[in-house]
Amino acid sequence: MNTEALKELLYKMADDQLILGHRNSEWTGIGPLLEEDIAFSSMAQDKLGHSQALYQLLNQLGEADPDTIAFHRKGSSFKNCQFTELPIGEYDFSLVRHFLYDLAEKIRFEMLTESSYEPLAQVARNFLGELRYHELHAITWIKQLGTATEESIGRLQESLDFSLPYALGIFEPSPFEADLIAEGIFEGEEALKAKWLLKVKEVLGQTNLRMPEISLLTPVYGGRMGNHTEYLQPLLNEMTEVVLLDPAAEW
Amino acid sequence: MYGGGTIFESKGYKELSLEDPEKLEAFQARIDRGEKIEPTDWMPDMYRKQLIRMIEQHAHSEIIGALPEGTWITRAPGFRRKLAQMAKVQDEVGHGQLLYSAAETLGKSREEMFNDLINGKSKYSNIFNYPAFTWADSNVISWLVDAGAIVNQTANAKGSYGPYCRALERICAEESFHLKYGHDAVVHLATGSPLQRQMVQEALHRWWPPLMHFFGPSDKISVHTEQLMRWKVKMATNDDMRQQFLDMYVPKIWELGLTLPDENLKKNYETGLWEFTEPDWEEFKRVINGDGPCNKERLAVRKSAEEKGAWVRRALLSPKAQYVQPLA
Amino acid sequence: MNTPLISLDPRITRLGLYEVIPETLVPKSPLDQFETYEAFFQKKVEGHYEHTGPVHAPHPELAYLFAKEQYSRRGNTCTGIAVVKTEDIQATAFTDNDKNIYDLIIPRGEIDLSGPVKSFDIFHMKKRGQHHEHVGRVEAHSAEEAIYKAKQEFSSLAPVVNVWVAATEDIRFSTPEEKSFWDTLPLKKYREPLAYKVQGKIDQYKKEHSSN
Repeated sequence: MNTEALKELLYKMADDQLILGHRNSEWTGIGPLLEEDIAFSSMAQDKLGHSQALYQLLNQLGEADPDTIAFHRKGSSFKNCQFTELPIGEYDFSLVRHFLYDLAEKIRFEMLTESSYEPLAQVARNFLGELRYHELHAITWIKQLGTATEESIGRLQESLDFSLPYALGIFEPSPFEADLIAEGIFEGEEALKAKWLLKVKEVLGQTNLRMPEISLLTPVYGGRMGNHTEYLQPLLNEMTEVVLLDPAAEW
Repeated sequence: MYGGGTIFESKGYKELSLEDPEKLEAFQARIDRGEKIEPTDWMPDMYRKQLIRMIEQHAHSEIIGALPEGTWITRAPGFRRKLAQMAKVQDEVGHGQLLYSAAETLGKSREEMFNDLINGKSKYSNIFNYPAFTWADSNVISWLVDAGAIVNQTANAKGSYGPYCRALERICAEESFHLKYGHDAVVHLATGSPLQRQMVQEALHRWWPPLMHFFGPSDKISVHTEQLMRWKVKMATNDDMRQQFLDMYVPKIWELGLTLPDENLKKNYETGLWEFTEPDWEEFKRVINGDGPCNKERLAVRKSAEEKGAWVRRALLSPKAQYVQPLA
Repeated sequence: MNTPLISLDPRITRLGLYEVIPETLVPKSPLDQFETYEAFFQKKVEGHYEHTGPVHAPHPELAYLFAKEQYSRRGNTCTGIAVVKTEDIQATAFTDNDKNIYDLIIPRGEIDLSGPVKSFDIFHMKKRGQHHEHVGRVEAHSAEEAIYKAKQEFSSLAPVVNVWVAATEDIRFSTPEEKSFWDTLPLKKYREPLAYKVQGKIDQYKKEHSSN
């Protein structure tokens, strides 16, 4: 088993979930509808739970414990895609990001249920149910708002056009793609992206939203290599503010 | 999270003397038998109006109450606290939803209640007009404000109005997580490093005066309050609830070697009652009337959430849809 | 000069509000309130669905999604959620706790038997203050007929103070595949009071500080 390849995969998945879960939690208490506020918060908590489980797998592979990994690393060692670190913006952006990211995540976990690395396959199987909920939530909202009024369709379209290059960054190839595929750990980012595109197009096809021509977009890469936007380090500073008051203490 | 201390008497209801005496008697008899009132039952206008006012204030207190602890949601230290803090603040929003629904069964829509909140026509628990300066403030809120709320809510859950009781049953179950979580976090700070201990001690001193205000001033026993007690709308006096709170939680604070900013605070074992310095009720009134450290920000945030979310509502409103009150 | 609001809460600071707040809110349109749904919760497979409370939503599917998180995000088990528009529920009057509402339901003349037969779900409240519980289904031409059929079929159970009837086709139940939504519920320990145990720390502290 190529442990380096496996760790790289786990780090980027876990970091994505931590950073996006953190971002989405910012809506708690200030969302657009009470009921949606509650649902969105639950999904943010679920994401944190996913990251914790994935960091736990890393811990079993000899890395530090989940709290240390999450709260005591500098920005350049985070492997999340840049899409996840962008500020929450208006609700249209947060919904579109939820839609684009969570569809990819659900497909990724589905693929990983077949992983040759059994602990990862087990984690993927555990979480598949809640990811089905996330997917249903995202698709329902996009279909509703994407067919409603000029204003809502316009807002979603604008967020979609802005988000897609970042969303393509989810699939930034890893230096270990060939190893992961050869060892049956993961079918690879290209395969994931192809399935994701089909699903995104299928959903958008049922709305008044237009899918931009993907081949004309330049994916925003870099996150997987530790290159981030101006937003990640402040996010981490905020997240670790209390922990770092006394890093040795038990909070 | 609600202590009941800010209920003002409702106004504009039909005078009791104008109600049908026979119906009134049957209504009282049902309550005396221990049966709950359900939404489609006949009820005196004063009962309806007072309950709407009380449940609505309770609901507002939940969604405004999500803000002080929300202050620390992105900074909670470590996975365990981060998840719990998110879940805790989420629960407050959930409680707001449950309570608005209960109030709606009495005939006031959620939108009307929201508007009254934002326009300052309707009050919420005064304690949320104070700021959470540090992580420890948030923990003190989770523990002690929720503890106070549980005293009030457990009493109200035995009240006479079915939908409110059902909502409170669920809320009390969830609050027991808040209480345990808050206590756990405070104990970690109190028994932790010197810095942590200092943080929690300072937070406790900041929150003690608002906590003493939480249940409101001593009740004036008026004809009105007596009537509400007979109808099982008001279930305990403010003083009784404050005593119960002190009895349950002061020992738990003191056992951690933490101090409270009131030299006169002690239990009189002859009377069985706690003695304390009379809280500053002038400040209480001042803050309720808008002049607290955070009143403006709390309402501005709520208002901004409404305005920022308005496009979602505009998009999905069905022109055919008529508002329907929940059934239970 | 209206200065930006700097909050203790960094999230709020990022909302970009101002310190001086305009006094009045533009009143919202009176229809600005989504439709009302009643939500039901099923704790165990084959268990009764029980009423848990209402949600407001612009669409049945969203009502379903909202009900799931509002009413089943904690506890050890859940196997299903159901939602139905409040206006699609026919409710009887309430009776006293020691009476049976079915005794007061007497067919009044002809029931309309035109149109097709369909399935209706029946919910009972046994005592005031409790929740409505699903008791079964009947086949009928209308909600009115469904109540009479329910009386024949279910009134021998314990007394009932209130009955709800809703056409099965109007209720959004969880599908069998959706039961996996709740697979991870037992993992959400952080939402449960039992996860927080500090007596050991308190005892330790007291022991260390009692000697002096």
